[in-house]
Amino acid sequence: MKISKTEVEKLAKLAKLSFSDEELERFTAEFDEIIAFADTINQSIEGGTEQIRSVGARMVSFDDLRPDEVVPSLPNEKILSNVEGYNGFFGLERSKK
Amino acid sequence: MNYEIVCGIETHIELATKTKIFCGCTTEFGGEPNTHCCPVCTGQPGSLPILNQKVVEYAIKAGLALNCKINTKSHMDRKNYVYPDLPKAYQISQYDEPLCEKGYIELDSGKRIGITRIHIEEDAGKLVHENGYTYIDYNRSGVPLIEIVSEPDISSAEEAREYAEKLQLIMRYIGISDCKMQEGSMRCDVNLSLRKPGDSRFGVRTEIKNINSLSFIQKAVMAEAERQADILDAGGTVVQQTMRYDEATNSVSPMRDKENSDDYRYFPDPDILRFSINDEKVEEIRASLPELPFDKLKRYVNVLGLPEATARQIFRYRKVAEFFEGALAEGASVKNAANLIVGTIFSNMDTEEEKELFDIRISAAQFAALVKLADEKKINIGVAQSTLQKMLESGKPVEEFIKPEDLAGISDEELESLCKEAIDANPKAVADVRSGKDKAINVMFGYIMKKTGGKADIRKAEVLLRKLIGQ
Repeated sequence: MKISKTEVEKLAKLAKLSFSDEELERFTAEFDEIIAFADTINQSIEGGTEQIRSVGARMVSFDDLRPDEVVPSLPNEKILSNVEGYNGFFGLERSKK
Repeated sequence: MNYEIVCGIETHIELATKTKIFCGCTTEFGGEPNTHCCPVCTGQPGSLPILNQKVVEYAIKAGLALNCKINTKSHMDRKNYVYPDLPKAYQISQYDEPLCEKGYIELDSGKRIGITRIHIEEDAGKLVHENGYTYIDYNRSGVPLIEIVSEPDISSAEEAREYAEKLQLIMRYIGISDCKMQEGSMRCDVNLSLRKPGDSRFGVRTEIKNINSLSFIQKAVMAEAERQADILDAGGTVVQQTMRYDEATNSVSPMRDKENSDDYRYFPDPDILRFSINDEKVEEIRASLPELPFDKLKRYVNVLGLPEATARQIFRYRKVAEFFEGALAEGASVKNAANLIVGTIFSNMDTEEEKELFDIRISAAQFAALVKLADEKKINIGVAQSTLQKMLESGKPVEEFIKPEDLAGISDEELESLCKEAIDANPKAVADVRSGKDKAINVMFGYIMKKTGGKADIRKAEVLLRKLIGQ
């Protein structure tokens, strides 16, 4: 499977990121290599990825799910410790359309 | 209008669990911004979501109450889009293996509106836009939602409203959500297209987002159908787009588009294991369902013998129905209990919200004690009403207002002598009754009630009076 530069551009747009033409060329090549690697894994499994999901993947039962019990949340200053907070909020300058 | 409406509704309902869908943070509404948060619900790298059991249970409950097939194997998917209310840049949702599928809601006409699917997902955070800045509060991020998707079976504004109303009532009854549209715990998106009658193809559809009241659903469907009809009549084509309903102007207009918002690139979330629910568990959840609202309505009418209008007023509020049935369990009669609830208790409640909340100061047992006095004719209905009003205002039991001596009742002898007195005191009324002006008998009723403080049995009095007057 090959990825086109147009597809990489579309992904960048969906992620609201912008890149130079050189970057897009480089990413297209790198994406290609990553996809080729995944394809190799895929081909080595009889039945493809669907097979992995239906047979190989572990499943949990209802009883193993998390009970609905409240645990303390983090303090606000901890939550905001990597950013500049605004009265307890995360804040960002509104993007210009 | 020369067109047929083809409409489906997607409904998001916030589940009333204690904790969020993938972490133990509280779902409590409000709170200071970003204080109900942890690494999971703020999407910190390396954090791992763990699915809340109650969310799965509640979604299955919703599915069973809406006649769905339950998928006993299910998994979570990532729905990718970039927006600041979503800290991970993807929402954990379900795509091709939703928990419930293929149900229906039956309208009063007997028509069934199909339910395509019900899936579980996380809510996003809240954005506040102010002074050129966007402020983000992730308290709501990770609050569990179910999305209920209907088939495009709805063909009028009235059906759209009835569908949403019934859905809301059923969800409230099974206790999985308070479904308050104004507060956002139930939100509807309406998909709508038009086609010529008899045409089997669908027209181009639009989606009206986030409608927050039942009456707005009805109005929005009407407004959008008219807008599309005008375009088609003028020979134009409807553009597929996302719309907003403005209640102030009762009109529908296009929303600013999220870029490529439908390119979500769903894939199974590798952080969350696929899960299974065995049939016994499903049956256990089914057994935990209460009597559903429309079964209750039928029972009130067919078994209890309530007039449909009265039954409808009681069944539509879960707490009122519980109070009513609690009183019956204490021995109150159906008719007096129902009439006192609808006539007296409801007269103290002006809004739907108050009836829904049904926050009153007396218990069903205290209410039943009063109703039984009326049932046994120890007090008449007028006294029952005024006493109930006093009980509601004070929160005190019936004994505070009606003493045992008040309940001695009027013996048949006493009543007969009172009737004679009433006749002697009102010769003109007696003559009127004899000459065919039957309403004049009310004068004698008034006399007897006044003398007994309302305690006389008016039906007995009527029989006696008529006998004595010679009618």
